[in-house]
Amino acid sequence: MKKLFLALLTILTVFLMSCDILDTEPETSIDADEVLVDGASAQSILAGAYSRMQTTPYYGVHFTLSPDLAADNARYQGFFDSQLEVNSGTVPISNLWIETAWVDMYRVVNIANLLIAEVPDLDDPLFSEAARELVIGEAHAVRALAYFDLLRVFGYHFDMESEYGLPLLLEPIENNDFNLIPDLGRSSVADTYQQILDDLDTSISMTVGYVDNTVMSYWAAVALRARVNLYAQNYEAAYADADAVINSNEFALVNNVDNLFLTTNPTSESIFDLVFSDQDQSSIYTFAFQRDEYNVDPSLTEAIEEGDDRAGLFIFTRGSDRPAKWSDSNNANNVKVLRLAEMYLIRSEAAVFDNDDPNAGLDDLNEIRNRAGLGDAGPFDDLDEYVDALLQERRIEFHYEGHRFFDIVRLDRLDEILGREDFRKAFPIPRDELQISQNLVQNPNYPTQ
Amino acid sequence: MTFLLLFVIPAWVLAQDTTITGTITDTAGEPLVGATVVVAGQPEIGTSTDLNGEFTLNVESGDVLNVTFIGYRTQEVLVDDRTDYTIVLELDDQLLGELVVVGYGVQARSDLTGSIASISGDQIANQPVASIDAAMQGRASGVFVSSPSGTPGAGMTMNIRGQTSLSASSEPLYVIDGVPMISEDLSGLFSGGQATNSLADLNPNDIESIEILKDASATAIYGSRGANGVVVITTKRGRSDVATFGFNMYTGFQDITNKIDMHNSQEFLELMNDAARQDNRDIGTNYPEAYVSDFWGFDPSDPDLQNTRWYDEIFSTAPISNYELTASGGTDNTRYFTSFSYFDQEGVQEGTGFERISGRVNMDATATDWLDFGVNLTLNRTIQDRSINDNSLYGVVINSLAGDPLMPVYEEDGSYADPFNYFGWWMLDNPVLIANEYQRYTRTVRGLGTVFGEAGLADGLSLRTSLSIDYTNLDDEAYTPIISRESQNAQANGFGTFGTTQDFTWLIENYLSYINTFADQHSVNAVLGTSFQASNRSFSDIEAQGFPNDQFIKLSAASQVTVGESSGTSWGLASYFFRGNYVYDNRYLFTATGRLDGSSRFGEDFRYGFFPSGSVAWRMTNESFMQNQDIFSELKPRVSYGITGNQEGIGNFASRGLFGVSDYRAASTLVPSQLINRELTWESTRQLDVGLDVGLFDDRVTLSADYFIKTTDDLLLSRLIPGISGFSSVTDNIGKVENKGFEFDARGSILSGTEFSWSSSFNISFIRNTVLELEVNDQIISDSHILSEGQPIATFHLIHHEGVDPETGNMRWIDLNDDGIIDSGDRQTVGNAQPDFYGGWNNTFVYRGFDLNILFQFTYGNDIFNHSRASYENLGFNRLNPTTGAGFPLPDGNNHRLADDRWMEPGDVTDIPRASLTNTNWREYSSRWLEDGSYLRLKTLTLGYNFSPDFIDRFGMRNLRLYMQGQNLLTFTSYTGLDPEVNQNARNPLVAGSDFGTHPQLRTISFGINMEF
Repeated sequence: MKKLFLALLTILTVFLMSCDILDTEPETSIDADEVLVDGASAQSILAGAYSRMQTTPYYGVHFTLSPDLAADNARYQGFFDSQLEVNSGTVPISNLWIETAWVDMYRVVNIANLLIAEVPDLDDPLFSEAARELVIGEAHAVRALAYFDLLRVFGYHFDMESEYGLPLLLEPIENNDFNLIPDLGRSSVADTYQQILDDLDTSISMTVGYVDNTVMSYWAAVALRARVNLYAQNYEAAYADADAVINSNEFALVNNVDNLFLTTNPTSESIFDLVFSDQDQSSIYTFAFQRDEYNVDPSLTEAIEEGDDRAGLFIFTRGSDRPAKWSDSNNANNVKVLRLAEMYLIRSEAAVFDNDDPNAGLDDLNEIRNRAGLGDAGPFDDLDEYVDALLQERRIEFHYEGHRFFDIVRLDRLDEILGREDFRKAFPIPRDELQISQNLVQNPNYPTQ
Repeated sequence: MTFLLLFVIPAWVLAQDTTITGTITDTAGEPLVGATVVVAGQPEIGTSTDLNGEFTLNVESGDVLNVTFIGYRTQEVLVDDRTDYTIVLELDDQLLGELVVVGYGVQARSDLTGSIASISGDQIANQPVASIDAAMQGRASGVFVSSPSGTPGAGMTMNIRGQTSLSASSEPLYVIDGVPMISEDLSGLFSGGQATNSLADLNPNDIESIEILKDASATAIYGSRGANGVVVITTKRGRSDVATFGFNMYTGFQDITNKIDMHNSQEFLELMNDAARQDNRDIGTNYPEAYVSDFWGFDPSDPDLQNTRWYDEIFSTAPISNYELTASGGTDNTRYFTSFSYFDQEGVQEGTGFERISGRVNMDATATDWLDFGVNLTLNRTIQDRSINDNSLYGVVINSLAGDPLMPVYEEDGSYADPFNYFGWWMLDNPVLIANEYQRYTRTVRGLGTVFGEAGLADGLSLRTSLSIDYTNLDDEAYTPIISRESQNAQANGFGTFGTTQDFTWLIENYLSYINTFADQHSVNAVLGTSFQASNRSFSDIEAQGFPNDQFIKLSAASQVTVGESSGTSWGLASYFFRGNYVYDNRYLFTATGRLDGSSRFGEDFRYGFFPSGSVAWRMTNESFMQNQDIFSELKPRVSYGITGNQEGIGNFASRGLFGVSDYRAASTLVPSQLINRELTWESTRQLDVGLDVGLFDDRVTLSADYFIKTTDDLLLSRLIPGISGFSSVTDNIGKVENKGFEFDARGSILSGTEFSWSSSFNISFIRNTVLELEVNDQIISDSHILSEGQPIATFHLIHHEGVDPETGNMRWIDLNDDGIIDSGDRQTVGNAQPDFYGGWNNTFVYRGFDLNILFQFTYGNDIFNHSRASYENLGFNRLNPTTGAGFPLPDGNNHRLADDRWMEPGDVTDIPRASLTNTNWREYSSRWLEDGSYLRLKTLTLGYNFSPDFIDRFGMRNLRLYMQGQNLLTFTSYTGLDPEVNQNARNPLVAGSDFGTHPQLRTISFGINMEF
């Protein structure tokens, strides 16, 4: 009897102690189907989109520096094949950066998709219509930014007739179930531009009066639309948007270029700064300084004219120039995704091409030159001469800010400046993606496996 | 009738009347539980002893009792007029050591139907290594043990019968005294691919025996964790005997097994000049004579050139010692074993070391006539002094690889020389500075305790209950000094990290055991039970920078905290298990096993898995037709088949769709972190094993051979998914891997005289690993590895070549895709890291008081990607301008002496190309650095002397032994790196077999003493 009692007692104890050991919950995560429940969580998820823009393959390092590395502004000195391949201009389909960038950029798209689809029906009486409009509007602008960045890396953004646009995923993944990810083919370039512009139009209409230079607020959407229209060669529209931003009185050029860059705060010129801080660091300083990887190409500093204040934006150490734009040792320099100087140069370029007059945009071009302590350029004899001056100005003004390669491509100087074949205007669709998709088509001349 | 009655009645009367009782003990007076008492010729009259070794039986006077117990000699006892018997069974010498600890019980080796290797504690005790896994190398077939790095306290790699898993873990389950222990690396400190070894928390000398469960019949009782094999560790226990006190110690010195012979400064400069000269000839450059040395401002013939030998600067001879006190003994009711030990290993590389203080108490008590209980408790502290090594920018060895001999260690003012003032591109910081000034420690306090009780419920039936706790409190502390380049480049003024990991795992197990023999022919041994295990783990991490000076390493001295975070995770496993052994007439053996496991890691509908196995064996020597021979003492064919699982190596919440937290603008945000996979479940391994055990000449020679096929399905693996979802992969059950192979073990007593004896054992394993199915074929895993169907795990994928052109001295690279460029697109499958076979050969010689043990261990047929050579066989290639070589000539640094075999003049036939300032002949990820990793090693050599009992008795001693031991004394290999036993990334089996600045293995010579009072 005693034995039986003891045995029963033991068995009872075991069951009492162990009935729920299989029901464990994560402590720093939350189930995806329980995450978007109210206004506060919608705001947190929206802010999460910026957090995902901060990843290393995206604005946190590579997307910000690769366009300079792929062109003539930076030279790679480091261990990693992926950056070496970007530097040499022969990016294979297995390149690690393109594989991770594709995914990280689409993650931002997916966050926007979730908000756009579900915020309207959220059951939260305290979440007002006006607040919802702002969240949805901003999500459209975020999606436009991510799709435009994807288009610039992977698509034929320079050819409106091309089929090589992007797969356009506009809905959240059903149930967060990987089995339900649609196998999309690529939309045409024209359709991709249309989607980006539609998103921006929607955003702009929903966020009027929303001012915040650290997110994709109203003016950031307008400024991005100026850039998108410029790439799409809708010069009139590009002009109008750039003009609107410049005349908004929300922004002003910083007089001294040092003050523009040697800071970890947004400036009067910031339209959209992706904010980093010592508690929320990028890795750009780490790569450009600490690890000696993205050395400044001597041809960049050689190209700077005598008397240009921007010549001071380099720090010579350990045998190479390094970009002072990223010299905060806590990796806390913001990424200036959209800033006012670009609007001047967009307005200049749009005026020139819209009017077919090489001197129609002279004032805006010189505005930027004068700010750097240089005298006026021009007048120019022909469009070609203007493009040379524009490319030179953009090169010096936006070095290490993610423009150089795309500028060379869209202004059709790839062969002239970098001596590369035409098909290298776009990077290849990553090998991993081709392996699992039936419908995704590789860019011309790149291997498919 | 009367006549008949006269005969019948006495018999009837006797049978009615005699009830006898008895106690069965061993020679030490220890009661034997479950011993069988049967009346000879009447198998229906029998019983087995209870927890006190007692039995009661109705017998007739004149009957003969057959008393049997596994591992002991059977005794026959005549029933006379006594009613109480004390029967002492003697250990069967022939069977000695043949008791085998299996999951949830003990079996006689002769009754086994599965494949289990045993290693006795004596074999691994007192070896100058930190952990038991290191001591197991070469000692059992099918068990591949490798030490990826010689760093003290570094993790080992062990896999049993091949790599079954593509995700992180093919490591076996370790079960110590019945407790599946946490054996993974809990440290969060970045160390460049090397893990810490949580098995080093155990004192190897506490171990009585190790059993390695290999086939499905043996491992299925561990169900979802059995697929990689199970290592069952049993620690020492006390016996009812007078108290015995032991003192053991050894002390010795360690050195590295091999050094790379590097060029001196003169040769370095001459090679650089040769590179320019060769370029002039081959590509028409126009460098002057002595171009590089003049450029740098040196004269190669200057006898006063600085000449730093970097390997000598970072490696030195270092001591290793171990001290241990033990006490064991007991009374009839209480038995104890206690030990206390201190192990101290200084690293041969400055800035490394490992220390352990450990204590153990194992107690057993007989509480009542039906209840025993006991406690096992071990508590220890380890301190690992670590440097960063292997594949990391600021590793000590990696920064020494191509160390510029012209650079001194210290400048004249006593400060560390800065490599940026010298001529090697490779070195990012002075390796001596890193070794001396970086501070990195991992400290653990670990307690492993069990309380158990065992109750006899009825004849042969007992219930065992145990409650166990495995607790680890680990902290990581690291400091990067202000004077380091890493800190200077980051302008951080020194940065420090402090992190903690706490793991609390508890386990409750209950099982019923039933042992009985019916009718002398039907033996049954069955186990039925439950097991619940749950683990909670919490982490924290603080990082800070801005230190006043390098004297302070605690974070409170830092001016700025950059990271502060904490998190936690948990898992649970609920299990129900059964095993039945049935032996018919000691000839036909059957075992059936099953375990039902429920795991918190998997989707709700896929949470439970059932893992069955079955096996049969035939002891042919007990057949009548085998009775008239005396060659075979055992001939036992056996077959087993079963399914086991693996759930390690994936996240605790891998099946969920999750959002995690991140931040933007100093506010917390929610970000998607993983997509859902509701159908996620374990990997399952089906294993067929066909084996034969042979004993010859009274078991003087035993042989064991096994052929197995192990197919693992539903591999837990990252499955590529369309990136438009924002994710590149989910964890899914995809793919299939096969391991098949042949294992052979032989051991025998070759000579056994009274004065001289020689015994020897040999094992060898041939295992083929093949990836059978993948969701996506030909996955490029890293710059050097690929995963392909039809190839093994850890297959190298590199740019290949057709040797050196004797006319030009240039590499003939293979332009696989014919695009005129040699780049990553030209990589192809060129070899793999899996050995064709491996094994060990152990010999013990005894002459009078002397004993000599020699263990050889070997591995054959694996390739090593000697990535380090890309650095120290740069042959002059100028990093600053790799394509033309022009400008400031900055090579990676110095070259090893094998570069003397390089191509010099047209017509030279060699496999090392000409020197060049360009990268014509240099591709980092190319087969130029692929080498054969086969080796044969004299793993241990021990010479001991046991003093005669007569002599030591005078000093009150029972045992006194002095010995000296050598570890890794000789290594025969064609591998040109530091040591062929190497793996740069121990955490990921998919990229195994690379050597990149890895800490080499150690050669140790030690002297020891064992005393027993």
